[in-house]
Amino acid sequence: MSKMLTVMKREYLTRIKSKGFIIATVAMPLFILIMVFAPVVLSLIQSDDQQKIAVIDMTNVIYPELETNLGDTTASGERLYDLLQVEVSAGELKAEEERLRAEIQNGELNGLMVIPENVFQENNVEYYAKNVSNFNQNREFRNAISSIVQEARVRERGLSPELVSELTRRVNLETFRVGKDGGEQKDAGQTFILTFVLVMFLYISLIAYGATVMQAVTEEKSSRVVELVVSSIKPFHLMAGKILGIGSVGLTQFLLWAATAAGISAYAGAIVGMFGGDQSAGLAMPQIDASILVYFVVYFILGYILFATLYAAVGAIVNSQEEAQQLQFPVIMLLIIPLILMQFVIRNPNATSSVALSHFPFFSPILMFTRIVVETPSFGEILLSFAIMIVAIAAMIYLVGKIFRVGILMYGKRPTLPEVLKWLRY
Amino acid sequence: MLALQLTDVKKSFGKVHAVKGLSLSVEPGTIYGLLGPNGAGKTTTIRMIMQIIIQDAGEILLYGQPNNQKMLDQVGYLPEERGLYRKMKIEDVLQFFGELKGMSPGEAKKRSQTWLERFNMTEYIGKKAEELSKGNQQKIQFIATVLHEPKLVILDEPFSGLDPVNMELLKNTILEMRDAGCCVIFSTHLMDHAEKLCNAICLINRGQSVLEGQLAQVKKGFGKRNVILEYDGENGFLDNLAYVEQVDAYGNYVEVRLSDMSKAQELAQHALKHTQLRRFEIVEPSLNEIFIETVKKG
Repeated sequence: MSKMLTVMKREYLTRIKSKGFIIATVAMPLFILIMVFAPVVLSLIQSDDQQKIAVIDMTNVIYPELETNLGDTTASGERLYDLLQVEVSAGELKAEEERLRAEIQNGELNGLMVIPENVFQENNVEYYAKNVSNFNQNREFRNAISSIVQEARVRERGLSPELVSELTRRVNLETFRVGKDGGEQKDAGQTFILTFVLVMFLYISLIAYGATVMQAVTEEKSSRVVELVVSSIKPFHLMAGKILGIGSVGLTQFLLWAATAAGISAYAGAIVGMFGGDQSAGLAMPQIDASILVYFVVYFILGYILFATLYAAVGAIVNSQEEAQQLQFPVIMLLIIPLILMQFVIRNPNATSSVALSHFPFFSPILMFTRIVVETPSFGEILLSFAIMIVAIAAMIYLVGKIFRVGILMYGKRPTLPEVLKWLRY
Repeated sequence: MLALQLTDVKKSFGKVHAVKGLSLSVEPGTIYGLLGPNGAGKTTTIRMIMQIIIQDAGEILLYGQPNNQKMLDQVGYLPEERGLYRKMKIEDVLQFFGELKGMSPGEAKKRSQTWLERFNMTEYIGKKAEELSKGNQQKIQFIATVLHEPKLVILDEPFSGLDPVNMELLKNTILEMRDAGCCVIFSTHLMDHAEKLCNAICLINRGQSVLEGQLAQVKKGFGKRNVILEYDGENGFLDNLAYVEQVDAYGNYVEVRLSDMSKAQELAQHALKHTQLRRFEIVEPSLNEIFIETVKKG
C-alpha cells in the first residue's frame, strides 16, 4: 500500500511540476477568459475609422432618412459613415458611377451606394467598395434602407407604419424547465448548450487523462525501467498507483479551473467595468446547479478509472507510442459512440433505449450524465449506473491486471489478440 | 540456513516449457553464478525468484521463507532489460527506488550520496538520466539495486554493455559486497567472469540444471584430462594418436584433452621425441570448456 503511494507520488509530482501541466492549467482559464470577455471588450472599443461613402439616390426620397438611420458615431464622436449625396441625371448615371468607382479604386472614397428609382418595385440596391465582406456593415446598410423602403410602401397604401408594426409583432416563446422539485426555471436553450459543453469537457478529460496513463505505461515499458520497478512492487499496485496518481493530477487541474471560473464570475462585472463597460450589463454566465457539478466529478472519477484501466492495458501491450496510437482506437470508439448517441438522448431522455444505453458502463459517464443535465432521472437509476460502473471497474481491473502483469515484460513483436487472451491464463 | 533454495520449480508459457523441474541451493555470503546458453531459462528463473512471474509448480525459499514481498524487500535485483526514467533527475530516480524498497526519504538520500561518491559520480546528481552515457546509466541502475543494502543481490547479465574499466569496478564491488556478508547471484554467459568470481555455479540448459555445486567440486568432478604443451616444432606429431580426444591450438601453445589420464606419460615421451618441449602441464578444464562440453552433451 505504501509502495503504491510512492508510485502515486512520483506520477503526481513529476506531472504537476512539468511545463506541460503548468501551461495547460494556466492557458485554459486564460482561453475561457478571452472567450468570455473578448466580445464584450471588442464591442466597447470602437476603433473604426470614419468611412466616406457616396450615395446616388435616384428616388430622391430615401437619402435624407438614410442619413438619420446610419447615424453611428466613432469613438471620437464623429459620424462613422460620412455620407455624401451625389445628384445625377438618369443620362449621366453610368459615367458618374464610373468616376466614383475610380475614386474608390484610388482611395478617395470608401464606398458607393446606388439606389435605383425602381427600388420600391425591384427591391435592389447596389453597394460598391474595396471590402464588401464586413457582414455587420452590410447588415446595417440593408436594414437601414429596408426600413425606409418598407415604411414608404406602407404609407403608399394609406396605412400607418406604427399600426403595421403593432399588428405584425412577433410572438415570444418562453421556455421553462421543470426541475425535480416541481419548481420551474426559465430556460432559453442554455440547458442544451450547458449539456453539450459539460459533456464535451468530460469526454475530452477522459480521453486526455486516459491517454496520459497509456503513455506513462508505454514509456516505462519502452525505457525498460519497468522490470526494476516490478521487482519492488506488485504490478497490480504499480498500475493502481499510476492510475490514481494521474487521476489526482486531473482533479487538481479541475480544482484550479473551478476556482478560476468562480473568480471570473464573481469579479466579471468589475473586470468589464475596468474596460469602461456597463457593470450591470450582466454577462450571461450560465447558472450551474451544484448537484450537476457533483455528478460531473463522480462520473469523471468512475469513468476515468474505467477508461484509464483500458488505456493501461493498451500501454502494457504495445512497445512504442506509435503502436499505442493505433491500438487505442477501440478504446476511443467506446467514448465516441455515446457522443454520437447523445443527440438522440437529449431529445428522448426517457426513451427505453436511452435508459438502457445510459446504464451500459462504458457509455454511462457521457449518456447518464447527459440525462441528468437534460431531465434528471430518478436517484435509483443514477445509483444503479454507479453500481454497474463499479462492477465493471472491478472486472476490468481483474482482467487488465493480468494482461498488464504479462504485457509490461513482453518486448518485441506486438502480440495478437489471441496471444493477449492467453496471457489471462499465465 | 540457505540464502536461496529452489525445489523442482516449473514454468510453462503455453506449450513452451521454459523451466522444467529446476532445483538449486545458494549458501549465504557466497557469489553464485547462474550459467547457461541463451534461452536456457535463466531470466525466467530469476523472474520467478522475484515474483515477477509465478511458478506453475515447485517451491522457492528465501532464507527459509516463501518469497513474499516482505522477504523480497531484502533482495536487490538488477534485471537484464533495464532502464531509467529518462526525464527524471538522478537524485529523484534513486530516491524513488529507495522508497519503493521501503526506505525513508532521508535515508535514501544519504545512501545514494554515499554510493555516487563510491562510483565517482557525484557530479551527475542533478542531471537527467537521458543526459548520462549508457555505462553511467548502468551504474545508476546498479546503485538503485543495492541502495537498500540487501542481504541478497541478484544481477541478470550485469556485465553486458560495460567497458573494461567499469567491468573491473563492478567486479570489485561484487567482491567487496561478498566480503561485507552479502550474497550475490548473477547470471552470465561470460565464463571468464564466472570462473574468477564464483564460489558456486549452476549450469542451466533447456530449463534444467545440468551441473551444480561448488566451482572447485564441479571442476574436480569433470576430471583432470587436459594437458598444456609448449614446444618448438611442427604440431603434426599430435595427429593420429588414439588417446588424444581434442586439440586446441593457440599459436604459442596447444591444449590437448586426453581420453585417459594414464596416457599423459606416453604423450610426454612422444612430444619429447618429436619437438623441443618447453612446457608440459596437467591442468583442470576451464569453465568455458565444461560449459561447451556439458551443453553439447545435453
